[in-house]
This record gives sequence, structure tokens and C-alpha cells, in this order.
Amino acid sequence: MPVAASAIYFLNLRGDVLINRLYRDDVGGNMVDAFRTHIMQTKELGTCPVRQIGGCSFFYMRISNVYIVIVVSSNANVACAFKFVVEAVALFKSYFGGAFDEDAIRNNFVLIYELLDEIMDFGYPQNLSPEILKLYITQEGVRSPFSSKPTDRPVPNATLQVTGAVGWRREGLVYKKNEVFLDIVESVNLLMSSKGSVLRCDVTGKILMKCFLSGMPDLKLGLNDKIGLEKESQLKSRPTKSGKTIELDDVTFHQCVNLTRFNSEKTVSFVPPDGEFELMKYRITEGVNLPFRVLPTIKELGRTRMEVNVKIKSVFGAKMFALGVVIKIPVPKQTAKTSFQVTSGRAKYNASIDCLVWKIRKFPGQTEPTMSAEVELISTMAEKKSWTRPPIQMEFQVPMFTASGLRVRFLKVWEKSGYNTVEWVRYITKAGSYEIRLAS
Amino acid sequence: MAPPAQAHRSPSPSQPSGKGEVSDLKSQLRQLAGSRAPGIDDSKRELFKKVISYMTIGIDVSAVFGEMVMCSATSDIVLKKMCYLYVGNYAKVNPDLALLTINFLQRDCKDEDPMIRGLALRSLCSLRVANLVEYLVGPLGLGLKDNNSYVRTVAVIGVLKLYHISAPTCIDADFPPTLKHLMLNDPDPQVVANCLSALQEIWSLEASTSEEASREREALISKPVIYYLLNRIKEFSEWAQCLVLELVAKYVPLDSNEIFDIMNLLEDRLQHANGAVVLSTIKVFLHLTLSMTDVHQQVYERIKAPLLTLVSSGSPEQSYAVLSHLHILVMRAPFIFASDYKHFYCQYNEPSYVKKLKLEMLTAVANESNTYEIVTELCEYAANVDIPIARESIRAVGKIALQQYDVNAIVDRLLQFLEMEKDYVTAEALVLVKDLLRKYPQWSHDCIAVVGSISSQNVQEPKAKAALIWMLGEYSQDMQDAPYILESLTENWEEEPSAEVRLHLLTAVMKCFFKRPPETQKVLGAALAAGLADFHQDVHDRALFYHRLLQYNVSVAERVVNPPKQAVSVFADTQSSEIKDRIFDEFNSLSVVYQKPSYMFTDKDYRGPFEFSDELGNLSIAAESADNVVPAQGVEANDKDLLLSTSEKEEIRGATFNVSGYSAPLYDSSAASVQSELAIISSTSAGSAPSSSLAIDDLLGLGLSAAPAPEPASVPPSLKLNSKAILDPGTFQQKWRQLPISLSQEFSLSPEGVAALTTPQALLWHMQGHSIHCIASGGHSPNFKFFFFAQKAEESSNFLVECIINTSSAKAQVKIKADDQSTSQAFSDVFQSALSKFSV
Repeated sequence: MPVAASAIYFLNLRGDVLINRLYRDDVGGNMVDAFRTHIMQTKELGTCPVRQIGGCSFFYMRISNVYIVIVVSSNANVACAFKFVVEAVALFKSYFGGAFDEDAIRNNFVLIYELLDEIMDFGYPQNLSPEILKLYITQEGVRSPFSSKPTDRPVPNATLQVTGAVGWRREGLVYKKNEVFLDIVESVNLLMSSKGSVLRCDVTGKILMKCFLSGMPDLKLGLNDKIGLEKESQLKSRPTKSGKTIELDDVTFHQCVNLTRFNSEKTVSFVPPDGEFELMKYRITEGVNLPFRVLPTIKELGRTRMEVNVKIKSVFGAKMFALGVVIKIPVPKQTAKTSFQVTSGRAKYNASIDCLVWKIRKFPGQTEPTMSAEVELISTMAEKKSWTRPPIQMEFQVPMFTASGLRVRFLKVWEKSGYNTVEWVRYITKAGSYEIRLAS
Repeated sequence: MAPPAQAHRSPSPSQPSGKGEVSDLKSQLRQLAGSRAPGIDDSKRELFKKVISYMTIGIDVSAVFGEMVMCSATSDIVLKKMCYLYVGNYAKVNPDLALLTINFLQRDCKDEDPMIRGLALRSLCSLRVANLVEYLVGPLGLGLKDNNSYVRTVAVIGVLKLYHISAPTCIDADFPPTLKHLMLNDPDPQVVANCLSALQEIWSLEASTSEEASREREALISKPVIYYLLNRIKEFSEWAQCLVLELVAKYVPLDSNEIFDIMNLLEDRLQHANGAVVLSTIKVFLHLTLSMTDVHQQVYERIKAPLLTLVSSGSPEQSYAVLSHLHILVMRAPFIFASDYKHFYCQYNEPSYVKKLKLEMLTAVANESNTYEIVTELCEYAANVDIPIARESIRAVGKIALQQYDVNAIVDRLLQFLEMEKDYVTAEALVLVKDLLRKYPQWSHDCIAVVGSISSQNVQEPKAKAALIWMLGEYSQDMQDAPYILESLTENWEEEPSAEVRLHLLTAVMKCFFKRPPETQKVLGAALAAGLADFHQDVHDRALFYHRLLQYNVSVAERVVNPPKQAVSVFADTQSSEIKDRIFDEFNSLSVVYQKPSYMFTDKDYRGPFEFSDELGNLSIAAESADNVVPAQGVEANDKDLLLSTSEKEEIRGATFNVSGYSAPLYDSSAASVQSELAIISSTSAGSAPSSSLAIDDLLGLGLSAAPAPEPASVPPSLKLNSKAILDPGTFQQKWRQLPISLSQEFSLSPEGVAALTTPQALLWHMQGHSIHCIASGGHSPNFKFFFFAQKAEESSNFLVECIINTSSAKAQVKIKADDQSTSQAFSDVFQSALSKFSV
């Protein structure tokens, strides 16, 4: 059995039940209490998202200020359960229009009950596609659309079945202006040793798509990835054009992508859902362009003084610039006084996270601002109050830059009516976990 | 849907008391019930919402049941849904009132709107009142035939609900065959998927009583059904795909062509965005190729990239679920992941449950080429703010040291830990240094110098203190101050809370006494006196035992307490390979996350000891210091050993025989242990000490006392084997490489033998009874592989055996290598006769 969930609970941070839905009788009604006493009120909360209490297993996730708890009594499929919660939350968000928190739940609890009835029956996941559900579960609660057609009202699923298993797209969509927005969003993860060598570095990227297209369009996306290009040149018996090709370590696609065609022809072709969705995810470990180099030096001058110097080099094109750059440089807990000199941006000491926080709103390429700070420490009684020297962490966003070098080569749209489409492509690279260790 | 919190109120003080509000609601509902004024639905909706919200926070609103039912005559679908929800919640506790609702639900089941038909049918089946089941059969039958697929999906699950309320009604109405027909013919994939879920549940539950049901259950994993589902797999929703893939993993293909066909068909599923689908596909691949070693390895290579992607995407919870699975694969085939070790580096902000798994994987994949990087990285974590993780990292360094041959650099790092002057780091490092010394005594010089400089006052944790004391005793000749440190520790006997530490102190003082008698004599007296006066039974007994032993004969006592030690070559593995295989069989389920097979957490009998104590991984740590002198026993650590704390040291074991008091047989056996130890020391052959029929290791060891004694009668007189043969895996491997194959034969297995092989452990026990010891075993039905060894009783001449058993053909292929080629035929006869006697 993949997931035969016995119950699902939504709790707020105090442990009050916001929503509960018992699907099966095989768990007692006091499951919330068990969760509260054995997980919420103990230190266990952060230790593991899967816990066994008595004969039941609890899967829980915190999303903003809400805990979603699934209770199962059998040996369930963990990945499936968490994916279900994630999908369910996405569904709720698409109904609430964005936020998913305690207030949203309180304001929409009838709707949530309705949805919980549809997305899971007797513990088995059913249909979680917002596209389909929105056809017959509406906040307005109007009578279901089927009733308008007197006979043979097929449920959307069945209609779509006939048109070639496109369960994620409605027929008969019309847009005055046909537009596609592509966002290539990469997060670059870095772990750099105190000696300046890269310990680990990778890019996880996703391609987000927003489609406003009429009818049933067929799309084909071309990237500058190695396999795709090789295949293409093979097919057209033409040598690969020079230029950078990217080697993707692994790719996963939205269910709309025809995987068989990807495997045979290496092309990404699909009939997109309407609106916003995540087309693909990929991972790259080779040839990553790090947008920033961080060069820290920290000198401890005796027991009560420290000197912190940090230089950041931006290594992307001079015409580009990064936004929202934040560098967090950890300092010991007993920091008393700090003074700064920066060549760009602003720096201050944040006592709640024990860090010097240096912010640069707009950071042009090919520059290297510096910060130097003097830190005075309270001298403590303990002879050698150890400071663990956590790593420097960095946040940033670099528009029009991809750390992997991935580029969209083309996006083709075919629709039988032959309309013209406007395609918009954006690139952005964000910091994932960008850590630079300090020498001790 | 049982009432959520009917009996107990939610503890929040801010919530209304209920009583007044409920009666208020009641009168308002009553007013609305008859009204047909325009806009009435809106006011009803507000009221219904109130009722539902009270219900959710745990106020009992069952009192308005009648009014709710009266108001349910509406065409507003949202109102209907709220009403259904309410009814479903309270019907079970108010069966009489539930009867009221049957009418309107049955009417709705015939509504022209399929939504309403479906909803009504679902609610009808959710009433869960046993005496109302008669009203269910009719609507369900119609629902299954409904021309709308939504109604059919609801009806299929409805059948399952009916089965859980009243199994006979469901069976008598012939619903399961109908479901089977739907499963194989319905155009809607969700209907098919729900049929599959329902049938799996129904037939599994029925199978225990009905042969037909168990046949039907088997039929679900027959070729036609599997192929039918596989051919439609792309139509299914992601959840249904998981369901189907789970079923396919149970399917046993006829030949390798079929296996490749299935894998080719499913390969694109590895690119699916839903991690659960990817994991299910991986399970299919792994299970299909179990018997094809090469392909199985290729599968590992193929699934690596998708798994690593899944780990780095999604919420921490999702990546934890994936990481747990990656963990089990890494543990099974560390060498395949050796080059990916950087993926297991921890990020600073990762939750500790993720870090912990990563640490274990880093430990597992360490080999000659990456050890330096991995150990350097682990040392970074030792300074982590998260103390449990820092401790884990130090242990990980130690584990790597114990599994590597080149430990030079690692020892240096461990010694650096000792100099970090953090309590917990010192404590962990001490325990590790102790284990390390037991495996690599050659490092004692370097280690002792550093250990000697640690002040015993700075070590408080019992485990670390015990380790320090053990080293003081063991290396007292090299540590200048040893007797004096022991003396000061003995002076503080009363203040020492841990019995483990006091036990170690006793033994250490004894050891020290034999090495440096004049300096220790006084302490020994004090320690024995303190021990005899100790309120703890074990400590008292051990003190008494030492005391009498010394009285009896000092040189015997020395040989008992301070015998020359053999370096430990392999430390016991905590989980038997059988358990690991079972977890692997249950890939993609909770078993993998809990790291134990499902029977341990779903069977009531098993749950007891694990309840509330299932901290992940603590099992694997608990037994780190377990002694396992004879590697053959490592394989045999069974479930029960997992539960026992195996952390006692070998010295303790001798004493634990006395723990349960002075009962005669136990005392005898410990005497036997002394004898047999003597026997070994004086290097007389084992055969000459018949009274110690059990191997010494059994007496000291991990509960092996139940091992069958050798049966001399079964061994032909031409060749006598040593029942206590010892061979460490290193030597075995070396010999296996050097020696030529002297005999290669094929034996047949009796059917009973094949049957008994469902637990390969049984064969190990059986062969041990014939003085043939297992050094390693593995494999999966139908193919098992064992490596055995035996030694001649009179001389140390070894026989090495590789035995591959195929249970489907009932054949055993045996390759024998021997130090003395001339006796290999005789040994082969012994082996065959032993094997042929193997049965349940």
C-alpha cells in the first residue's frame, strides 16, 4: 500500500486542531494528543519528521505557522506521504491565492474539508490536480458544472482521456494575447574550505513556466545542454556548433513532458498546463561559475579584540549586477562593540544571530568591495570559552546570469490555429547554501 | 469518521464552552429548516459553517443532528457537503439518528448530477454503522455501473469501506469479482487504481481464511495483470503509478528478457518529478535484478543521479525520505558511491536528522582514495555547535579508522581531538582510542603518551571513564602514573555513580597488580574491599570472584585476568544480514526510515521494546564496542542481540555469568571458561579438554551458548575437525587467494534442506554443529553464497570452502581449498554429509 493514511491533522503552533480528517477507523481519536505530548511538547520536534508513537507513525511538516500531520498505522510509503502533503499545500495555495497559514485555514476551513474529501478517499490519494479540481470545487459553491448539460456529462478526466491523456489541461482555453514566460532559476550551493578550496559545489536549477496560450498547443524547448545538442547534430548530420554546452547531471520533468520522446530524441516536448508550473528541474556539478569569491581574514588580537576583514569579488560580467547581497560573518557570542569600514553597502552587528551583517543592495560585476571591522569582546571568566567558528554565509540574486551557463536556445509553439506567441525568458541565479569556512 | 475530539475538549482556554452556543444553533437551524425564502441558503451556510467549526475544535454538536438533517433538503452543493461531513462525523455514535439520513442520502445517490451522486455515495459508505449496511449494497452496485467515472471511483472505495464495516456483506454481494472486472476493463485510470487498492486490501485480509482469496491475491501479480497495468502506466496519476509500481516490484519475471522489457518500459519514470514515483521505480529495478549481479550493479549506477537530485530538491522532509533510501543503498554498495562522497558533506543549516544520515554514509563510503578528504571534513564537524552531531562525527572518524588499513593519519587526528579540551570531544575520543587499540595494539605507544596526560578528573561520562580506566589497566606498564591514578580513583569509589566504571576499575587494578605488583598491592586490597562492600550485585560478585581466584592461585588468576590478547579484527556488525535484507525487501516504506523490518513496528508483539525508544541509529552506536573475537559470530548476531546492549567488555562477560546469583550450573560454566582459557593458553589441542564442550568464545560471547555442541558421531573418524577453529577474515582472504582449488563439486540438497534455507542463518548454525564455521554469507533467494572454514583438530591445517546454493535447483556448488591437499577429499565427504543432514 503506498499510503493508506488513517488521518490528517492541521495544527497551529500551540497544538490546537485547525482541521482534522479521519479517513480510517484504525487509529484512535486521541492521536492529536499523542502528537502533542510526544512530539510537540518535547525536544523531539526538530529531530526527525517521521516518528513512531505506539503503533502509529506520524509524518509531519511545518509550513509557515501550521503543522500538517499524517497518521498511518501500516508500513507506509514515506516519500509518497510527504509528496502528498506538499502537493496538497500547493493545491490549497492555488485556491487561497498565495498564502498558506493559520489564518488562511481558519478562513477557508469549509473549502479545505471539501478538498480533503476529494484528494483522498479512505486514505488513498485521488486527484490532486488544481486544474481539474477547480472545475467542480469552487469557492462560490455554485452547482456543479455538469448539471448544466443534461445528459452524458462526462467528468473532465474522462473527456481529456479521449483527447490523449492530457489530464492537466482544459480544452477550449482562449487568450487574446498568447504569451509564454520562462524563468530559469538556479540556486548555487557552495562549501568552501578555510584554505579557499572548493569542497563541494553544485547548481540545482528549475525552469518555471507561465503559459497563457489558447487551445491545445504543443511546445518544444531547446537548451544548450550537451546531450540534446549532440542528438540534434546527429539527426541533422551537422557538427555541433561551437560554444558552451552544459552537461546536466540529472533532469526531472513535470508530468506533462513526454518522457518517451525525451529518451529517444532528447527533446523536451509537452502540452503545457494552463498558468504557472514547474517544467523541469536539473542538477549540475561540473563547470559551475561561482558568481562571488569571498576572501575573509579574521585575526584574534588577544582575548578581547578581533579584526575582521572580508573582501568579496564579483566574477560575473561587468554589465550585470547582483541584487540583495547579504554577507553574514559570524562573531563570538560575547561581542560587545563593533566598528566598521566598508567600501560599499552597509554593515552592522546583529546580536540575535551573532553575526556581522553586511548588505549591498546593488553589486556590479567585476568589482571587489571590502569590509573591515573591529570587534571588541567582553572578557569572560572561562579561560578558553570556545568559539566554534561557523561558516560565513551569503545571500544574493544575480539576474540574467546562470551559474551553470544554461541558456534557452529556442521555444517553439505549435497550435492548429497557428497563432503567434510572444515568449519571454528570464534568468536568475540565487544563493542556495553558500558557505565559506573560517580558518581557525 | 469518528467524532474528532468528542470525548475530550481541546485544551485551549480561548475556546467557547459550547453548551449555550449549541442550543442557540439548534433553534436557529430549526427556524431555517422549513423556510423557503430567497437567500435562505446563504444564512444556512453561515450556520452550517459554525456547526462544522465547533465540531473541528472539539465541541460536541451532535445535539443538532435532527435539525441538520432537516436542513439538508437543499440543492446547494456546498451545503450538502457540509451536511455530509457532519453526518459522517456523528453517525457512528448516533446510529439511531443515522437512520434518519439514509433516506436523503439514498435519494441523492440517484440525483441527476454525478457530483451529488458521488458525494452521497461516499457519505453513505462513511456512516460506518453496522446495522445499516443493507442500505449500502444497492447504491454501491448501481455506483459501480454508473456511466460517470467520478461515481465509479467513489463506489470502488465504497466497496472497500463496506468490507471494513461488514466483510460478509461485501463478499456475499459479489463485489470483489466486480471490482476485478472493472480493474481490467474500466477506461478511467483512477477507477482502475482504486480497484487495485481495494482488491489488494480485501484479498490480503481474506487470504488467511479463504483459499480462493489467496489465489486471487496471487493473481494480482500474475503476468497478464502486471502487463495490463504496465501498458497503461502513463495514464495513471502519480499516486496510482506508485501503487502499480509497488505491485510490479512483487512480480517475478520468467526470464531476463522480460526483466529488460520491464526496465526499458519503466526507465523514463526515473525522470518523473514526483520523488515517490522515482523511488517506486528504483524499487522495481532493484528487485528485478537481484539475481543478476552485473545488471544489479548497473542499476545502482543508473539510479545514482536521480537519487542525488531528489535529495537536493524539495522540502527537508522529502529529502530526508529520499536520503534514508540513499542511505540503505550506500550501506549495501558503498564502493559504488565512493566517488560521490562530496554529496554527503553536511551543510551548516541542515537539520540534524539529515546530518546524521550523511555522517553514516560518509563513514561507509570511505576508502583508500577518499579517506583523507572525508576525515578532514569530519574533523570540521567535531567543532560543530550541535553537540550530538559533533559526537557523531568523532565516532565516524573512529569507525573509519577501524575499517581502514592505513590508520596512521587518523590516529593523529584522534589524538588531536583529545587535545581540544572539550569535555564531550575528549569523552568520545577516549572511547575510540580504546577500540582502536584493541584492533591495532601497535599504536599503543603513541596513544598512551597522550592518554596519560589526560586528567581523570576531566572525564565524567561513564563510557569515557571506563575506557580510560581500561587503558590504564591494559597499559599500566607503559604509563608511569597508572597505579597512582588508579589509586586516586579507588579512593573515590563511593562517589562513582556508574557500576560500569567501578567494574572496570576492579579489573584494571587487577591487571595493574600483575604488571606492577609492589606499587599496586595496596590499591588492590582497597579496591577488592570496596568491591566486596559494593551494593551493586555485579560489582560485588566480580570482586568476590577475583578475591577467590587470587586465594586459589595467583598465577591462574593472572592468566584469567591478563591473558595475552588477540587483536580484534572485525567488530560485530549490529544488524544481521537477514534483517538488512528484509529492510531492503521493504524498500520505499517506513522500514527504511526506521531501519528495521516492518514486523518490528507493526506487529503488536514486537512493538513493546521499541516503543518510544526508536531514536534512529542508536542501535548502531550502542554496539560499537562489542567484542567479537570470532568473526564467524558476527554474521550470526540475531535480532535478540540487537536488543541486548552488547557494550560489555570481554572481562565483564566472564563476570556476567555470576550476575544471576550463585546458581550451580552457571558457576560451573564460568569455571569451564577458566579451564578452556587455560587450555588455549597452554596450547593444548581443544579436543583434550572435553569438559569445555563449548568454545570459549561462546561462553564469553554473544549469547551463543545455545549453539549445538559438536556431534562427534556425525564426523567420520578419518578426519577430526577443531570445533573451536578461529580464522580472521584477513587470513581467510589471503589464503583463499593463495591456495589452488583442490576440489570442486556439486552436491544435491534435500528438499527439507532447501525449505530450511528460507532462513540462511539456520545453515550456519547447522554447519557449526559439524565444526564447519561460516566466515561470510550473503545472497538472496534463490541464490545464496557462503564461505566456510574448518580446521583439523590435531594440527592447524585449514580448509576453506566456497558454497553456492541455488534453492530452485536444490544444488550446492562447492569449491574446497586446503592447506593440506591430501585430506581435501576426506573433508569434502565430511562437508557433504553435514550438508545432507541439513533440514528444518
